Amino acid sequence: MIDVKNISKTFISHSTEVKALVNVTARIDPGEVVVVLGPSGSGKSTFIRCLNYLNVADEGSIIIDGIDILDPKTDINKVRAEVGMVFQSFNLFPHKTVLENVTIAPIVVRKKPKEEAIKKGMALLDKVGIQEKADVYPDQLSGGQQQRVAIARALAMEPKIMLFDEPTSALDPEMVGEVLDVMKNLAREGMTMVVVTHEMGFAREVADRVIFMDEGAVVEVGTPEHFFKNPTHERTKLFLSQIL
Amino acid sequence: MSSPIALKRSKQGNHYYFWVGVFFFIVISVVLSLYFSALQIDYTWRWYRIPKYFAYQEQVEIKAEIDGEALSILKKGEVSVVQVKGLEGTESYTVPEGALEIEEGDTIFYGDVLATYKKWRVGILLEGLWLTLKVSIIAIVFGILIGLFTGLARISSNPALKWSAITYIEMIRGSPLLVQIFIWYFVLGTLINNILTKHGIGQIPPLWFGVAALAGFTGAYVAEMVRAGIQSIHRGQTEAARSLGMTYVKSMRYVILPQALRRILPPLSGQFISLIKDSSLLGIIAIRELTKATREVVTTSLQPFELWFVCALLYLVLTFSLSMLLQYLERRQLAV
Repeated sequence: MIDVKNISKTFISHSTEVKALVNVTARIDPGEVVVVLGPSGSGKSTFIRCLNYLNVADEGSIIIDGIDILDPKTDINKVRAEVGMVFQSFNLFPHKTVLENVTIAPIVVRKKPKEEAIKKGMALLDKVGIQEKADVYPDQLSGGQQQRVAIARALAMEPKIMLFDEPTSALDPEMVGEVLDVMKNLAREGMTMVVVTHEMGFAREVADRVIFMDEGAVVEVGTPEHFFKNPTHERTKLFLSQIL
Repeated sequence: MSSPIALKRSKQGNHYYFWVGVFFFIVISVVLSLYFSALQIDYTWRWYRIPKYFAYQEQVEIKAEIDGEALSILKKGEVSVVQVKGLEGTESYTVPEGALEIEEGDTIFYGDVLATYKKWRVGILLEGLWLTLKVSIIAIVFGILIGLFTGLARISSNPALKWSAITYIEMIRGSPLLVQIFIWYFVLGTLINNILTKHGIGQIPPLWFGVAALAGFTGAYVAEMVRAGIQSIHRGQTEAARSLGMTYVKSMRYVILPQALRRILPPLSGQFISLIKDSSLLGIIAIRELTKATREVVTTSLQPFELWFVCALLYLVLTFSLSMLLQYLERRQLAV
């Protein structure tokens, strides 16, 4: 489903080069939930943002559902329509109601009839448990509620893949659970998911595979059992000893 | 939370009413000193003469165009039809009820007044006010369009668009509006109208060069506000819109611009108020807007004091209404 080969990305800020990604290779199969772990600045956010072209990899290749997204001839908007993304800071549209947030993309991108989009939108809001807030504006919602709306907004496009970029990092602790529950349900339904997170519990419980990154490179890949119980690399052991 | 209480208390104290009194004292002294200064130079205030510059009654006379006899006068509802029979034929005149000066059977000579009545006419000040309003509205509409386009071009990564926008903005903001109006009228106007005449197409009246100057001037300022407005919207908004598959145009149209425009509404309203006031400069290229109209009335009536006050008041009415309208829009948007 996603095939990443040898991508590298260097940011240049104030004439200093920061190597965010170095020769990263990864594969995500259909229906698989892959959790990307790593310390701050390890390049995991850059990695997931490269997958839908919000960051552009300098070299290497990224094939999503058979389409080479780094090919200049590719219509990236078509690819993005199939790849949902959930951000750390929610990024809901503040001038639109919850329901409008969820229906806007299907209406203007997929050209869905309004009634159909609303019906689907309400069903999705029901799914994330927030249907009663449909006509409310995002700033009247708690962080957890906003993030659930953001998930519904991404799902409204009926994507084949969902990317989560630290979806719970900006939340108050008591709201983390409600968002993770929605994500767990999604995983159970067989959605292909790439999740950057610091929630070790989620990784252990839901992930099919864990990718551990450090300093822009993939250090270790494996099942949660392998990763948490018998990590091979010293760097992984150090990381786990620091957080567990 | 002590400060709101403190504010409230100072309002109720005697000091508060003292300073309210001072305010009204100042206002009344200014008005009175103006009045007594005018007395010193024997200025006669004639406010009663002002209304006629807004609307006046014109005496209309209907005159016979042939010699003959008033053959018949037929009443048809609100009007009467007078038939005058002459040697070379019969003419008929329609006059309003009650305006007749003749009776049936009267002998009529060429040029005789058949009927007189009064008709309301729009005065020159009201005409000027209307022209100012018209010029301002058209210039505001075009100013918004130019500003929106230029603002987007200004943040574009395409150097042709970006540099054109910067050049335009800097040139407009760096030169006086008066000079721009002269350039539009005397340079561009002359060029355009000569070329049009050469090809047998009619001339463009000065009004449109005035509108172009104002719209172009306002557009540059609006462009900078649009740019600032767009850049003030968090990058995450664009990312969220684009990650849903929206194109650049769609993300601008549905996500970024609605938020940006809401944010720049207050500075925009200030800019539009400036535009209404700046339209007073258009008098110099023979557009008879409010200021030019007032100047003309002043020269014929010799009532400068009253007229210039009235002129200022009329501008105040326009700008105040506009600011109320925009405040209403702002409030309505905040309420949602």
